[in-house]
Amino acid sequence: MKGVNHAKGVMDNSYRIHSQVGDPFPLSFALLPSIPARFRRRLVSPSAVLTGVLIFSPIGFAQTRTPPDKASETTKTPQPAAPLSHDLSGVWMQYRDGDVPGTPGMNGVNEHFRPPLTPWGQAKFDAAKPLSGAKAVAGQEDNSALRCEPSGPPQVLVLPNPWEIVEIPGRVLMFFEEQHLWREIWTDGRPLPKDPDPSWLGYSVGRWEGDTFIVETIGFNDKEWVDLYGNPRTSTTHLTERYRRLNHDTLEQQIIIEDPKVYTKPWISPPKLHKREPGWELAEWFCVLDENKDYDQAVRKPAGVAPASNK
Amino acid sequence: MQHRLTVCFGVLVAVLAFSPVGFSQSAQQSKTNRAKTNTAETEKAPATATATTEHLSRDLSGVWMQYDDGTAPGFARMNGVDDRTRPPLTPWGQEKFDAAKPLMGPRAVGGQEDSAALHCDPSGPPQLLILPNPWEIVEIPGRMFMFFEEYHIWRTIWTDGRPLPKDPDPSWLGYSVGHWEGDTFVVETVGLNDKVWADLSGNPRSEQMHLTERYRRLNHDTLEQQIIIDDPKSYTKVWVSPPKLHKLEPKWEIAEWFCASSELQTYDQDVRKPSGGESTEPKK
Repeated sequence: MKGVNHAKGVMDNSYRIHSQVGDPFPLSFALLPSIPARFRRRLVSPSAVLTGVLIFSPIGFAQTRTPPDKASETTKTPQPAAPLSHDLSGVWMQYRDGDVPGTPGMNGVNEHFRPPLTPWGQAKFDAAKPLSGAKAVAGQEDNSALRCEPSGPPQVLVLPNPWEIVEIPGRVLMFFEEQHLWREIWTDGRPLPKDPDPSWLGYSVGRWEGDTFIVETIGFNDKEWVDLYGNPRTSTTHLTERYRRLNHDTLEQQIIIEDPKVYTKPWISPPKLHKREPGWELAEWFCVLDENKDYDQAVRKPAGVAPASNK
Repeated sequence: MQHRLTVCFGVLVAVLAFSPVGFSQSAQQSKTNRAKTNTAETEKAPATATATTEHLSRDLSGVWMQYDDGTAPGFARMNGVDDRTRPPLTPWGQEKFDAAKPLMGPRAVGGQEDSAALHCDPSGPPQLLILPNPWEIVEIPGRMFMFFEEYHIWRTIWTDGRPLPKDPDPSWLGYSVGHWEGDTFVVETVGLNDKVWADLSGNPRSEQMHLTERYRRLNHDTLEQQIIIDDPKSYTKVWVSPPKLHKLEPKWEIAEWFCASSELQTYDQDVRKPSGGESTEPKK
């Protein structure tokens, strides 16, 4: 998947994907009613739209089954010497980082590092019918995105689409192009709530520890997965995000999931790099149920009919 | 929960907003009120707009909430786009209006509603602006954000001096730019799609709509909002609604409120349909 397969070494894959769907750019414009052609004017145009199309294509995900080189993945993060900026604002975009060959870009929550599931978690996981990945079975998908349900952290953080950070006094705001979501992270020193009501986005507070901005979130509902592969999220999920602006153009994001109900240990994914896109503005991209049907018909289902786990 | 002061209230408003029961009463009353208030309302408009001699604040940030202003007794407060000042429809506009089956108002018929909200479609301006739920303005250099509790929608208004786009693609929120004219912040929006109504009564929004919003912070706690709809495809004249007051709610925070299709069924079952099923016939 990943329309933005500009990184060398993956072009073969992307061409193969494209050939399934046809010429990706015009097609995606024509078939994505909820993503207006306005993208053309915006700088994000082809990449975001194409990513949108491919994000739900099981074909691209079939390749994720290739075992990753875990060692190379964890040791890659650059270590800066000078103090880092505490200003995280800007439009960010993740790209395929190339350190996990065959893995699509959406590895901010990295399945290769997932701890063993609890029996309860395993049952939930087994019941999930993702649209993508090794477990995908065409015609049986039950991703909540198919019903245009809201995404939420950490899943929304791994989607390879532009997102923006805006900092205002007492709050950090995050805007996601996908589903036009926004979330707020309270930085006014308030504690996490004691007994939050379950919600799609949860309740988030953030603080600086040295050069690292740490976001903690609780109060999730269990209606969304932590990733796109069906790994469960529950009301006991405690999410930690760690951000460092390694340099002007690079944001490092690390996602840590704790949920004793589901995972036998904390799930620590390796840091993921996001690139600043100074000329970009987030476009309007809503998931619209009525339009979703056409989208399924024209884009997702044809792709889904193809074997989901071809090696 | 203490943080979320708006939760219960917001939900309650949601229930009431979509309850045809409340509206069928108001529909009945509003027919009688309409005649009375029509002239009064239009006369009232310039009165509200009386400029203070003092300089008004150019900081519009805060959580705002509209309340029943008492100008239309029995009518729900969602009159920021005011049906009573609507100019005659064009033939196209009339056709669209007649085809719409709103969930509320005098034209609501139980079981036939087709409000976009029933399938969790996004809302958008100006409809979004009149929903009686908390909303927040945040200003940063070059931009203003508006956050609406309903649907968890956010919208950007560019204040960096850029012009409106020449040929925008239709979208739910449109493309908005804002500038100050004296003490008034003027927002202009184009590029709206025709998939959502201008209000909740089925008045059309076409792709030709040019929407203007005028904001003045009359005092620390009061924001005045006026909605002006210029849509020659739908309306024969510019639709100027009287200004509407919003009150600052300094302690409120916008809660999470998504329209989720899986929850919607339950919601319809428990809330909308029982009230909508039997009692939506306009009472004579």
